Amino acid sequence: MLHRRKLTWRASAAYRIALIYATVYALTIAALGMAVYFAADAEISRQQDEGIRVEAVELSDEYRREGLAHLARSIDAREAGGGSNSFSYALFDARGKRIAGTLPIRPPTKGWHHIAVRDSDGASVPARLLSTDIAAGLRLAVALDNHAIEQVDRTILTLCLAAFAIAIIVGAVGALLLGGYLQRRLEAMVATAVEIAGGNIDRRVPLSPRGDEFDRLGGALNAMLDRIGLLLENLRQISSDVAHDLRTPLARLRVEIELAQNGAPDPVQRREALDRALHQSDELLRLFSAILRISEVEGGSLARSFVTIDVSALVEDLSESFAPAVTDGGRTLAQRVQPGLTIRGDRQLIAQALINLIDNAQRHTPVGTAIMLIADRATDGVELVVADDGPGVPEADRERVVRRFVRLEASRTRGGHGLGLNLVSAIAVAHGGRLIIGDNAPGLRATLWLPTES
Amino acid sequence: MRVLLAEDDDDTARLVDQGLVELGHQVVRVETGDAALRLGGGEPFDVAVIDRMLPELDGTEVVQRWRAAGISTPVLMLTALGGIMDRVAGLEAGADDYLVKPFAFPELAARLAALMRRPPISDSPTRLAVAGIEMDLIKREVRRDGREIHLQPREFALLEQLMRHAGKVVTRTMFLEIVWGFHFDPQTNIVESHLSRLRSKINDGFDSDPIQTLRGIGYRMRTDE
Repeated sequence: MLHRRKLTWRASAAYRIALIYATVYALTIAALGMAVYFAADAEISRQQDEGIRVEAVELSDEYRREGLAHLARSIDAREAGGGSNSFSYALFDARGKRIAGTLPIRPPTKGWHHIAVRDSDGASVPARLLSTDIAAGLRLAVALDNHAIEQVDRTILTLCLAAFAIAIIVGAVGALLLGGYLQRRLEAMVATAVEIAGGNIDRRVPLSPRGDEFDRLGGALNAMLDRIGLLLENLRQISSDVAHDLRTPLARLRVEIELAQNGAPDPVQRREALDRALHQSDELLRLFSAILRISEVEGGSLARSFVTIDVSALVEDLSESFAPAVTDGGRTLAQRVQPGLTIRGDRQLIAQALINLIDNAQRHTPVGTAIMLIADRATDGVELVVADDGPGVPEADRERVVRRFVRLEASRTRGGHGLGLNLVSAIAVAHGGRLIIGDNAPGLRATLWLPTES
Repeated sequence: MRVLLAEDDDDTARLVDQGLVELGHQVVRVETGDAALRLGGGEPFDVAVIDRMLPELDGTEVVQRWRAAGISTPVLMLTALGGIMDRVAGLEAGADDYLVKPFAFPELAARLAALMRRPPISDSPTRLAVAGIEMDLIKREVRRDGREIHLQPREFALLEQLMRHAGKVVTRTMFLEIVWGFHFDPQTNIVESHLSRLRSKINDGFDSDPIQTLRGIGYRMRTDE
C-alpha cells in the first residue's frame, strides 16, 4: 500500500544506486593509484639498475686501460667523493680477498642482488647490487641504496591515499544529493498516485519541460489515467442509460401481463395481450443480446480467430440477400463492388456490421429511398460503405449517434434500441478500423474503414 | 422418439419436457452430467438435449466422453452462453446443434426433429424428390412435374433445406444459420423475402403450394403429392 512517509536510506533504491556508483568510482581511483605506484616504482628501479650497470662498465673499462692498481685507486677516489657519488664498491680477487672498496659485504655471486647494509648509524639500509667479473678472478660489486626510490614510493602512496579519501567524501556527498533528487522526482509521482487512489480521479502527475525519463513515466501514467477516466465515464453513462432505457420496455411488459391477468375474460384479447407481452420480452432479450455482443467485441479476444475474408464477395452476397427484402419494403438496393478486396477478420462480425447499417438505412428512410452498397480500396485498407439518399443525420449528431442508446428524436418511434451503430463501431475498432458517419449529399453515408493489415 | 434431457434448471426442464411429451415423444430427464454419462452409455436414445452447465460434469465433457466412447446419439446443446467462442467450443466437443437460452419451444422442437433420424453420412443423396418437385444436387437443377424452374443460389439453398427436412419444420433461425451462416438476428427479414420469391417461382403455373408457412415458427414442406 502507498503511504506518505518517504523511504528510509536503507530501503531507498535512489540512495543505494548513488552510493554504489560512488563506491565503484572510489575503488577505481584506488586501483589507478596502485597502478601508478607500481609503474613508477618499476621505472625508477630500472633507471637505478641502469645507473649501476653503467658504473660497473666504466670501472671495467678503466681496469682494461690502466690496470688493477689504477682501478683500486679510482674506486677509493670515488668513494671519497662523498655526496655526489652515492655508489659503494667492493673488489675481490679469485680467493675472495678484498682488494678495494668499503662496501661491507662478503664476495657475492655474479649478477643482480637486493642486499641490506648497515650504515654509519648502524641502521639497516636496503640497496641494489651488481656483481660482475671484470677479468678472470677479479670480481667487482657496485651497489646503490634505494633511498631515492623509497622517497618516491612514499610520496605516491600518500597522494593516492589522499585522492581515495577525497573520492570517498565527494562520492558520499554526491550520493546524498543524487539520491535526494531522485527521491524528490519519484515522490512527486507517488504523491499524485496516493491522491488518485484516495478518490481524486482528476489529478495528474506534474511534468517538467525537460521530457526526461521521469517525464516519460509521468506522461504514460497520465495517459493511463485519462483512459481510466474515460472508461469510468463510459461506465457511468451506460449504467444510467441502461437503467433508463430498460424501464420503458419493462414497464410496457408489465402492463401487458397485467392486462392479460385482469382484462376481459375474452380469451382472444387475453391471448393478444400475452402475445404483446411475449413480443416485449423478446425485444428486451434482443437488447441484452446486443449489449453482450458489444461487450464481447470490445473485450478484444476475438483477434485470435481472425481469418482472411473476401469482403468484395461478402458485400455482393449481402446485396443479393437483402435486395428482395429491401424491394419488398419499397426501396432499392444497388451495389458497386471492386472485386478481390480482402482483409483479416471475422466474417460473421463484418456481416453483422454491414447488416446493421443496411437495416438502419431501411428503418430510418422513407419509402422510395435508394440504398447503395460500395466496396472500394482505400489508403492502407478497404472502405465498405452503405449510403442512402434519405434524410441523413444532422452534422451535429454524427458523433453522438454512434454512442450507446442514442436515438435521434426523429427516429424514436421507429423501433430499434439505439445500439446498432454502437455495435458497428465496436466491430470496426476490433478489426483495427473505424466507422465514419458522413453526408451522402443528400442522405447518410456510413463508411466502415478496415485496414488490410490488422 | 426417446429423448434424453439433461437439464438442472427446473423451469427450462419443465418447458422442454411438457412440450416434447405433447408432441408424442418420450422424455427421460436427468439433472447432472454424471447421470447423463451413465444413461447415455446404456439404452439408446434417438436424440439428447444437454445443458452446457450441469452439476458434477458439465455438458461439453459429457458429449466429449460420449463421442470418445463411440456413442453417436445426436446432441442438441442448450446454454445461456451465447458467445461466439462458446458456440464453437460446444460444436467442437461433438454437439450437433447449439441453442442459446432463452429459446422459443417451437425452435427447439424443430431442431430436434431435424437431428432425429439423421441419415448416416454415406447416405448423402444426390437427388431429392418431394411433392412432385425434383432437385438434382450435382447439376443444381430443379424440376416440378418435369418442368425446369430457374432459381437463384440462395433460393435453391432454401428449397434444399425444406426438401431435406420434408414434413418437418425449418425455423427462420435454422435458415439463417444453414443458408446464410449467420448466428445472429439480422433484423431485416431476408428469409421471408427470399422465400416468397421462391414460392412464386415454384408455384408459377401450378395450383398447389407445397410450402407451408407456420406463423411465428417457420416453414415446412408438405410430403404429400
